Amino acid sequence: MYIRATGNISPQKTFGHQPLVDAVAYTGNRLACIEPDYKEFIDPKLIRRMSRIIRMGVAAAMECLQEADIKVPDAIVTGTAYGCLEDTNSFLSKMVEFNEELLTPTAFIQSTHNTIGAQIGLMLQCNNYNNAFVHRGFSFESALLDGILLLKENDASNVLVGAIDEITNTSHTIINRLGLYKQGEVSNLDVYKTKTKGTIAGEGAAFFLLAAEPSATNYAKLDGLHTFYKPDNIAEVEKQIVSFLNRHSVSMNDIDLIFTGKNGDAVSDKIYDDLAETVFENKETVNYKHLCGEYPTAASFAMWLAAISIKTGQLPAIFDSASNKKINKVLIYNHYLSIHHSLTLLSAC
Amino acid sequence: MLDLKEQIIAQLNLQDIKPEDIGDDQPLFVEGLGLDSIDALELIVLLQQQYKIKLSNAEDGPKVFKTVRTMAEYITAHQAQNV
Repeated sequence: MYIRATGNISPQKTFGHQPLVDAVAYTGNRLACIEPDYKEFIDPKLIRRMSRIIRMGVAAAMECLQEADIKVPDAIVTGTAYGCLEDTNSFLSKMVEFNEELLTPTAFIQSTHNTIGAQIGLMLQCNNYNNAFVHRGFSFESALLDGILLLKENDASNVLVGAIDEITNTSHTIINRLGLYKQGEVSNLDVYKTKTKGTIAGEGAAFFLLAAEPSATNYAKLDGLHTFYKPDNIAEVEKQIVSFLNRHSVSMNDIDLIFTGKNGDAVSDKIYDDLAETVFENKETVNYKHLCGEYPTAASFAMWLAAISIKTGQLPAIFDSASNKKINKVLIYNHYLSIHHSLTLLSAC
Repeated sequence: MLDLKEQIIAQLNLQDIKPEDIGDDQPLFVEGLGLDSIDALELIVLLQQQYKIKLSNAEDGPKVFKTVRTMAEYITAHQAQNV
């Protein structure tokens, strides 16, 4: 199956299909999405009920559909770990504030994890298959797998698949307290040099139009997807990677580029460092989380990067790569909190 | 009525609309301001939160929430009753 179109709102200037040239620098442990003028994509009457994450998700989905020139997809599948946190926070806060009485309906209605997929369906008047996956660090991969299965089983000829997660003031405070983020002064551009515990918070909304048939405008071919949970040790991670490639009749020599989910956390990055000395040895590996931050569906940002790299045949200028070798085959390896591990294989059409 | 208009704008998050844009006798629903059933629920909550007025009979809704003026009259009548 093929990635025909994309739409991406992230802490970088990714919206609008502009070339990704300069990295946006952030100071502190939180990256925030750069949002477009939503009025071009969403009816102002609808915008007023949408919180930030809903706007981001809907706008990224609309950009993707516009690029694909598809008005109504055969299916809409979304993945999110946190859901619409701002609305959830608003709803729960009002429950406390008004002693569980006088609750306003909008925040409650919009707080569910399937809100964004549902909003897209409502806006498009699309009554086709619509599903949302909430599986922590596997949320995006689960949505992607569902999209793949729909296409493979001929239940759809095109599927809109997306991942959406936001960081709010409340969730940032709570996760910060749990020790997941770096403390003190930190720049996203230097995050891999810190060698300290913790990472930087991120968020994003990335959508892909997957199609069963090839077309001249496709970005890339989606060859494979695999997830594995809590591997016992690094040897098992290596075994999973090798076995995944073998299943797709690909050797490591065929891979032109590997996107790895390194996030600057000295503890969890050890897995990537170990792999760099074994299965990834002598391969060109690229980190991406200094651009989008860490969040449970960050692998969607990597898939977007992989798709645009394959389409143009080279890494975006933002990576300042010295290699002139045309990129035909890309492997994405990501793990979230060393628990949820995923492998995605893409190639040129 | 200016206060009430401001409260309606805030409660319903009516972006780019100012109190002076809402006519006193302009219909709030459908062809007027374009509000819908979810907004009706928000307006019921607004009455309770701001004026401690509970809409006891749901069938009164269309009459009460017809315009800003009908809302204001309903509030005035019920506040007088509560005194």
